[in-house]
Amino acid sequence: MRSLYVRSFGSKLIWGLVSSFVIVVCVGLTAQTEDTRMEVQTKNWEGRGIENGAVLFANNCATCHGQQGQGLQGVAPALNSRYFFTRRLGDVGQDGVMTLSNYVYLTVAAGRPSKDNSQWANRMVPWSSQFGGPLRGDQVVDVVAYVMNFEETALQQTASEDPFQPFLDVSKPPEFQNIGISADAEWTPVQLAVTSVLPMGDRDPDYLFGALACSGCHDLNEPQAPSSMGESGPNFGTIHELGTYRPEAAADPAAYLKESIMSPDAFRVEGYDDAMPDDFASRMTEEEIDRLVQWLLDPNRVTHTRDAGGNIIDE
Amino acid sequence: MSVQSPAPQKKPWFIALLSALDGIFIYLTAGISTREFRAMLRGDAPGRPNTRLTPHADAFLLHIKPSYYHESVTRFTHTYRLGLLSTYLFLFETITGIILMIWYAPTPERAYVDMIRLLNNVPFGQLMRDLHRIGAELMVGIVTLHMVRTYLTGSYKPPREFTWLTGVLLLVITLFLSFSGYLLPWDQLAFWAVTIGTSMAEAVPPAFVGEIINLLARGAPDIAANGLLRFYLLHVLFLPLLLILFFFVHYYKVVLYGISLPAQEEEVGEDTANRVPANRRVYYLPEVLLDEGTFLLAVTAIITAVTVFLFQAPLEHIANPQQTPFHTVAPWYFYWLQGLLKIADKMWAGVIIPGVLLVMLMAIPYLDRNPSRRGADRRVATISGIVAGVLMIILSWMGTPAYAVQGAPALEVVEKLMPEEKVGISRKIGYKHIPLGTYDTREPITTDDAEFAKLLDKFVHLLEDWEEKAPDFNDPWGLLTVTQDQANLKHLRWEITWISDAGTEEYFKQDYWLHKGSYYWEQYGRKKFGVPEFLEMQNGG
Repeated sequence: MRSLYVRSFGSKLIWGLVSSFVIVVCVGLTAQTEDTRMEVQTKNWEGRGIENGAVLFANNCATCHGQQGQGLQGVAPALNSRYFFTRRLGDVGQDGVMTLSNYVYLTVAAGRPSKDNSQWANRMVPWSSQFGGPLRGDQVVDVVAYVMNFEETALQQTASEDPFQPFLDVSKPPEFQNIGISADAEWTPVQLAVTSVLPMGDRDPDYLFGALACSGCHDLNEPQAPSSMGESGPNFGTIHELGTYRPEAAADPAAYLKESIMSPDAFRVEGYDDAMPDDFASRMTEEEIDRLVQWLLDPNRVTHTRDAGGNIIDE
Repeated sequence: MSVQSPAPQKKPWFIALLSALDGIFIYLTAGISTREFRAMLRGDAPGRPNTRLTPHADAFLLHIKPSYYHESVTRFTHTYRLGLLSTYLFLFETITGIILMIWYAPTPERAYVDMIRLLNNVPFGQLMRDLHRIGAELMVGIVTLHMVRTYLTGSYKPPREFTWLTGVLLLVITLFLSFSGYLLPWDQLAFWAVTIGTSMAEAVPPAFVGEIINLLARGAPDIAANGLLRFYLLHVLFLPLLLILFFFVHYYKVVLYGISLPAQEEEVGEDTANRVPANRRVYYLPEVLLDEGTFLLAVTAIITAVTVFLFQAPLEHIANPQQTPFHTVAPWYFYWLQGLLKIADKMWAGVIIPGVLLVMLMAIPYLDRNPSRRGADRRVATISGIVAGVLMIILSWMGTPAYAVQGAPALEVVEKLMPEEKVGISRKIGYKHIPLGTYDTREPITTDDAEFAKLLDKFVHLLEDWEEKAPDFNDPWGLLTVTQDQANLKHLRWEITWISDAGTEEYFKQDYWLHKGSYYWEQYGRKKFGVPEFLEMQNGG
């Protein structure tokens, strides 16, 4: 058997030199490309953070804010919005104080402590485990990365494309909200009507349910049962059986529902606070309310997909 | 030559300088004069008395090395220098590990972020991490091979029984060292592999002992901050110290009895190390030192080249105790244990069988009374060794997800195309090869992109394969919807519909997002050194 044992000093020297040369070349090549590599890795982990954020956003935020950040009228503001990326920080008096990314981070992590002067149906809850929410710190960071990634498309929006709705929670009245910020002088956003786009009197119940933000608190799919109680308002998945589980409504469910919509404080179910707005009587005609009640009590009700203007797009 | 021309006259101060320099040289080499050094380089035989032995007496690092070896054991093919290599890899891991420690804090809040920071912002950070990882995997392999070699040559026989026993302990320590390092990146791979590993300890009978061991290892009922800190301390402090202790015991015995000669030249029970005939002696200085040095340099070169061009240490999503990965796997060297766990219950497969195997492995020299080390006389030992090896390989294969683990077919299909961890075909072809649109597997593939066509084709074939394999997966069809949710972010929705055994229609949906900047290095097979396309675009190039 031929042995690999190298006896001659010369061949050992060559082995050693070749090996050293290989090591030097490899380390040298790495040194040459370190700057690029670090840049690529930075982009890579930013990208993966946004991917993680997208998953978390889909599971936790998209129901209200929309996966494409379009928002939901009366429920949650649009995030894929030029207003949001250019003016919002100024409107809350934080321009130059903090970055938008920090503002988003704080909002996601700690939620919105107050609902004063806000048109949104729900208070945003704290999401970070630091404040009792369900997400870990790194998950909040990833969600913020996803939200901030709307910037590119948001800044390309024209005024009419921006799905934003004026916030009522700032000290300035809505008509002054966008004045005095020079960053984007030629852009004057068109303020959408807060209530709805379609004219009053002729609106479909499924449209109203979304446009007036009922869907922000009442889930149409989940049943209302001891094991599955809606968090902000009762679930509507089994509302056609209302009489069987709500004795007060047994005689005439339709009348009960109508009263609940027109004057929510007439009877309040235990476990829920007075979050329901009491101005629905003025925001819908009586016929619309009747049709909404009928639609709610119909076990086979249909919900159409609609565009921002309220037009049906699913058929 | 020197005879023909008379030696030039040297000035006294020059001679004094030379002798001073020689003194420094002797001081530095712990006893080798420049004249002797030149003689070594020329390959001259040592003189009498042999001044080359002085450093072995004077220098600490050399005093633990024998001053000469039997010529037969210096041949590479006798030991393959696996023991030396194991020791070297431990040193290699210590050095790369200490460098990594600079950038690492063992807390759940920081560990994973530190990993990413190491990759993003630290020059040579990725190289160090990759080297440390490949070195760890290699060390487990080399230590195992070292044991296999010792077994096959029968070198554990008297007087080297105790050497073998400490060697087995060193193998166990090496496995635990590698395993304890597994948790430190705090990613899904780490978290779940270690969760599986520590849950085996729970099976130690009686139940309360198992619970206590598990609790001690994890620091809490589930691995969290305490568990991470404990594994970190095990990895950087306790296990290395334990390994160093047993290494010195092991190595002392190796030097004491010498490396066993080939079976033909040595009888069992004979201590031949101290009776090497003068004409068979190979001195450590310079022969063996040079051999070992060049060998280790060559190995280092290979490790470095493989790391720089081919290898990347994996880093999955951050550890999420709430989300069990689709397939949880132990490290490869524990696949056999996972395989055992699939066919026996936890107490037998996780504790009793491995424990008995370990004791038997350590006791081999005391059980094997065969007085011969010659291959012809050791057929039983050799064959049972090979059978044990084959058994380990089969068990290891059974430990992989390929054996007896099968998710729902729809999940398996999507996992092949776009797994929750790792790369998969979709991420391999990347962001730019996945055009927006809706693609139905029941319709002919119409796409201009050849790479994407391959992906859709694979989708169709996987559905067909699973339809054949799984009885409750009939008439499946899939839908891939790619939308642009944000700038540079595509949304891939995988939907699969099939008819179950009961005749009802079933539906499965999985959403993934793919960012343009996500650069799955693994996708290239080897690392690319050029500037990737997306970076060029961002830099306006």
